[in-house]
Amino acid sequence: MSKVANRPDWADDEDLDDSVVDNALPEPTKVTNKDGTITKTSWKINDEGKKVKLTQRIRITTHKEVVNPRVAERKSWSKFGLSAKDAPGPATDTTSVGENIIFRPSTNWRKDAKEEKTEAGSMKDKLKDKKVKCRICNGEHFTARCPFKDTMAPVGEEGSADVAAGPADVADAAGGLGTGKSSYVPPHLRNGAAGGGDRMGGGKFERSDESTLRVTNVSEMAEEQELRDMFERFGRVTRVFLAKDRETGLAKGFAFISFQERTDAAKACEKMDGYGFKHLILRVEFAKKAN
Amino acid sequence: MRPTLLQGHERALTQIKYNRDGDIIFSTAKDQHICAWFAHNGERLGTYHGHQGALWTVDVDPTSTIIASGAADNTVRLWDIRSGKCLKVWDFNTAVKRVEFNEDGTQLLAVTEKRMGFLGTIVVLDINLDVEAEQSDEKAMTITCEDAKATVAGWSYMSKYIIAGHEDGTISQYDAKTGEQLDNTQVHEVDTVITDLQWSSDRTYFITAGKDKTAKLVNARDLEVMKTYVADTPLNSASITPKKDFVILGGGQAAMDVTTTSTRQGKFEARFYHKIFEEEIGRVRGHFGPLNTVAVDPTGKGYASGGEDGYVRVHQFDKAYFDFTYEVERQAKAQGQM
Repeated sequence: MSKVANRPDWADDEDLDDSVVDNALPEPTKVTNKDGTITKTSWKINDEGKKVKLTQRIRITTHKEVVNPRVAERKSWSKFGLSAKDAPGPATDTTSVGENIIFRPSTNWRKDAKEEKTEAGSMKDKLKDKKVKCRICNGEHFTARCPFKDTMAPVGEEGSADVAAGPADVADAAGGLGTGKSSYVPPHLRNGAAGGGDRMGGGKFERSDESTLRVTNVSEMAEEQELRDMFERFGRVTRVFLAKDRETGLAKGFAFISFQERTDAAKACEKMDGYGFKHLILRVEFAKKAN
Repeated sequence: MRPTLLQGHERALTQIKYNRDGDIIFSTAKDQHICAWFAHNGERLGTYHGHQGALWTVDVDPTSTIIASGAADNTVRLWDIRSGKCLKVWDFNTAVKRVEFNEDGTQLLAVTEKRMGFLGTIVVLDINLDVEAEQSDEKAMTITCEDAKATVAGWSYMSKYIIAGHEDGTISQYDAKTGEQLDNTQVHEVDTVITDLQWSSDRTYFITAGKDKTAKLVNARDLEVMKTYVADTPLNSASITPKKDFVILGGGQAAMDVTTTSTRQGKFEARFYHKIFEEEIGRVRGHFGPLNTVAVDPTGKGYASGGEDGYVRVHQFDKAYFDFTYEVERQAKAQGQM
């Protein structure tokens, strides 16, 4: 290997120390932080022969479990095979933790899943009855396919008006593009687009936003599951979001709970505001103020 | 619940087994080693090397001292769990698709493939459950499947019967002492492969999974179909959960069709059905490919699934799982207490 190739790239890692020979790795360090977490730093050489610094931040919670003596004995067995050189505890290259999966058995599981599906398929259903209408001759074909497209101008001046918007919109398309008079109108404020925008952004999001509660003054030790259990008493909860600190994993003190029905949300808001949970008093309000 | 992902294999998983105490998981895949894992944290205990072909099957004896494995290199091997040493190799004419210890671990059955002019067989081997002991070379018994090859097999309660599932959708009952065929019943649709057979904890009944998109709960004594679970995809594996009356089914589109489907359409989910009411009660997603195998912790605390994607996902059930009951169950319980 040439000397140049051996030298690490300056852009690779600022922690790299040029004076240290490749095979001499710094000692791993272990620092206990103020909040009880441990920061572990270790170095290793990766497949490309480059030195990599690995920083892990760990919180240790002790979870006691009584097991059979046979099981306890097996836990002390030494590793072998491909794992022979692994340190005690799960090795990072073979074991990782997946994302959280909410699994709640329910008898109407099929119904819930179906609702989800119809939401996605609703656009298709809506458009099923829509007939294709030519802007030039009002025939039942696409404008591009119109036999008169080279010889006739579109019906009226409102060429930009959406076909789906219907005749009512066509009448007052003053804000539309190209009608002059007024200054620039951004696309989402134009008449023709208004309907389209509603259909796109609205529907699911709009509704769930209205039935979302903001919960503040939540204890650090709270878990999403606990919140879900508390709020599910009032109706079907579609989403629970508990803001957590990325590094410590502790709750930041606020959460959002989305209900399927706004009425349920209102009920929950009323009942749960001021509820004592883990030595703190919850404050519950609608995430979006009703207009 | 937060699953633990185990990445010990480079190819599709073929079987997962828990030991009886539910603390160690053994996994086999089409690469050539077996992995042993601690179930509680996903730590790898070790790997077992020696097979020269794709591994199809693994089983652990009831005392957790020895595991047996069967592979496409036409061998069955015994391994010492603790040290990873190979204790014994038996050679066969064709690949070994399934091994299973009987209830007390004194005998092992092996299902061999039908290939190269050899008929499919079920072979019984005597096992000495001592790591130091010499294992006998003799095959205690051989059952030959003349019409349709066996794909899966297992020991019933008290090692009384050997139950085998065949490639034509039938299930056979053999006397475990003599090897005589006592019964043969069409359980799954004609000419659909039975892909898995797993026992209830007392081995009086079992569940079979079939490519005909159903799983059946069958009585071991008279091969009566007690329950049928209908899925919308071919099934590769099925398991009965202890503690709660559920069954877990795993499947998905065949591996060769997978690239043309999205993960959503591919139905790569573990499906939970209620054992008694035959109703689907939920799904657990996560795999990128069809589920080849599911296994339940014998203590009922969790389950593991292995997929065509090469991952093992170990799940520990949370409270919602244990709390779930049907309205009628709650009523019955309330009345019982009164």
